[in-house]
Amino acid sequence: MSQYLVSVLTEGSIFTVMALGLNVIWGWGGDFDLAFYGYVALGAYMTLVLTIGRAVPPAEFILGLQLPYPLAVLLGALAAGLMGLVVGLIALRHLRGIYFSIVTLGAVYVLYVLAGQYVPLFDGYNGVSGLFDPMGSTFGLTYQTYQYFFLGLCIAVAVVVFLLLERLSGSRFGLALRSTREDERATAAFGRNIYWLKLRGYVLGAVVGGLAGGLFAGYLTAFNPSAWSPIETIVVYASILVGGKGNGRGVVLGVFLIAVLLQESTRFLPQVPNNPELVLALREMVIGLVLIAFIRLRPQGLLPERRHLDREGGPGTGGPPPLGAGASHAAPQVGSAEPDAS
Amino acid sequence: MSVPAPPAGAAPPGPALQVEQLTKHFGGVNAVTDCSFAAPRHRVTGLIGPNGAGKSTAIDCISGFKRPDAGMVLFGDRAITGLPPHRIARLGLVRTFQTPREWPQLTVMENLILSRYQPRREGLWRGMLRGGHVADQAELAQVREVLDQFGLLGLRNERAGNLSGGQKRLVEFARIRIAEPELVILDEPMGGVNPVLGERMAAAIETLVAHGAAVVLVEHNLPFIERVTQHVVVMAHGAVIAAGPFEAIRSDRAVIDAYLGTQRTDDA
Repeated sequence: MSQYLVSVLTEGSIFTVMALGLNVIWGWGGDFDLAFYGYVALGAYMTLVLTIGRAVPPAEFILGLQLPYPLAVLLGALAAGLMGLVVGLIALRHLRGIYFSIVTLGAVYVLYVLAGQYVPLFDGYNGVSGLFDPMGSTFGLTYQTYQYFFLGLCIAVAVVVFLLLERLSGSRFGLALRSTREDERATAAFGRNIYWLKLRGYVLGAVVGGLAGGLFAGYLTAFNPSAWSPIETIVVYASILVGGKGNGRGVVLGVFLIAVLLQESTRFLPQVPNNPELVLALREMVIGLVLIAFIRLRPQGLLPERRHLDREGGPGTGGPPPLGAGASHAAPQVGSAEPDAS
Repeated sequence: MSVPAPPAGAAPPGPALQVEQLTKHFGGVNAVTDCSFAAPRHRVTGLIGPNGAGKSTAIDCISGFKRPDAGMVLFGDRAITGLPPHRIARLGLVRTFQTPREWPQLTVMENLILSRYQPRREGLWRGMLRGGHVADQAELAQVREVLDQFGLLGLRNERAGNLSGGQKRLVEFARIRIAEPELVILDEPMGGVNPVLGERMAAAIETLVAHGAAVVLVEHNLPFIERVTQHVVVMAHGAVIAAGPFEAIRSDRAVIDAYLGTQRTDDA
């Protein structure tokens, strides 16, 4: 049981990093990016081919280096960022809304087909495997202790990413990126280059996605095209929507409700004889229903986006009553950002 | 009509805005053809004309939201023809749109804070590593003062999208005050606003002028134009057909024809 819990928490932490990255692109920038899982996949692939050494025939893939795992993860994130830069340069220039989504969907399919069909890249549909217990031998860990170590690593990365992004969220950059989501003509009319602003946010999101991919590679020990079906992206989107689009804490909450609790709880449903696929299908249906319910009834999510509240000067306030002094590091100068109770 | 070019390197400032032979086609439609006019500094210039006259296209071309096919736009003594909108805005030309374009999910306060572009403080690395002060105390004090002037202080923590149409217009004026531009182009600020608020709008425009801005006012409400402008430019069929003080324009034959005679129903 404790092994199960450790693996669930590890997966939850990795999904948290993923969702936090997508939240920059969709939550702040407002762009419904369907290429996002491609950045996770690229980060995972790159981490693998940078750590597991030369390909042994008949397997074949690029690079085949034996770099330390942390370095490989960072390079994988960088590769994802580069891909994000290329996709963003094309898709963010003029396209918005559904047109942006279509182009990003096209981009992720190019990568998907390339990875699946062009064998010398990542060994086609076999995928790349063989990353066992990265850094385990460095710290002299046994099989039993290793999984706790890796859980700690994933939590640490998730916490660092969360803290950095929460800061950014409360900064002028975060506010400016949100304004492009709200009305980008006004953003331009007040002097901001919306293309450049959105592009920076997009690449940052892709880098965080690649980082999650690197952790994923360490967790799964392998990666192949069947590991990134479109439904994975929907789970991440559902987590953000339920938790609170644009709110970092909400995203964490949403991941644990949707990607962890809801997904895992279906594991305990009784197996239906003659129909082993039913439970899996049921899980996806439940996620779909939850998505529809939230879009209809609570589109802002459980924890709505925070706003900078100004509590000084003048008695009047149209906002919610001020809560206690913001303990948050994200608490920016105008009072502090707090969830909107509306 | 030709406007004399500003003397090179001269100390006396020329007009805030000078538009020369601006032209913009959409397919076969000549939205703006050879449109030329000037807007003096520290004055309110009215830009009027029937629907379809090309006013909106002209100001889109001036502010960079559309690229003109031909012609020249001088902002002060600087050619800004064809520059992207954010570059033009950074030079000190701010515009509004026919419908208020607030950032609805951001608070009124956040809307104002974001209205002054501060390149040094809006970087990604700075935001991520050094954290967020979206505004320092002096800025906040100024924002509160401006909000107070426009009677919006009590609404400062409200999401801007929740305000009424008239309040949104006032937020736009407040944003322009914070941006401190040299030239403001207002696109139908009275559109969708209760006429009772006319005096408040006029006062808001006068506040902008008092703070050193030149204003170009596109408006259909002629009594309002008469009330606030010193100089009026009339457009019809994409070109300027008259310019001068409102009293002179009122009796201009071409203007009367444009408004009453050959009426067109298509919108610009």
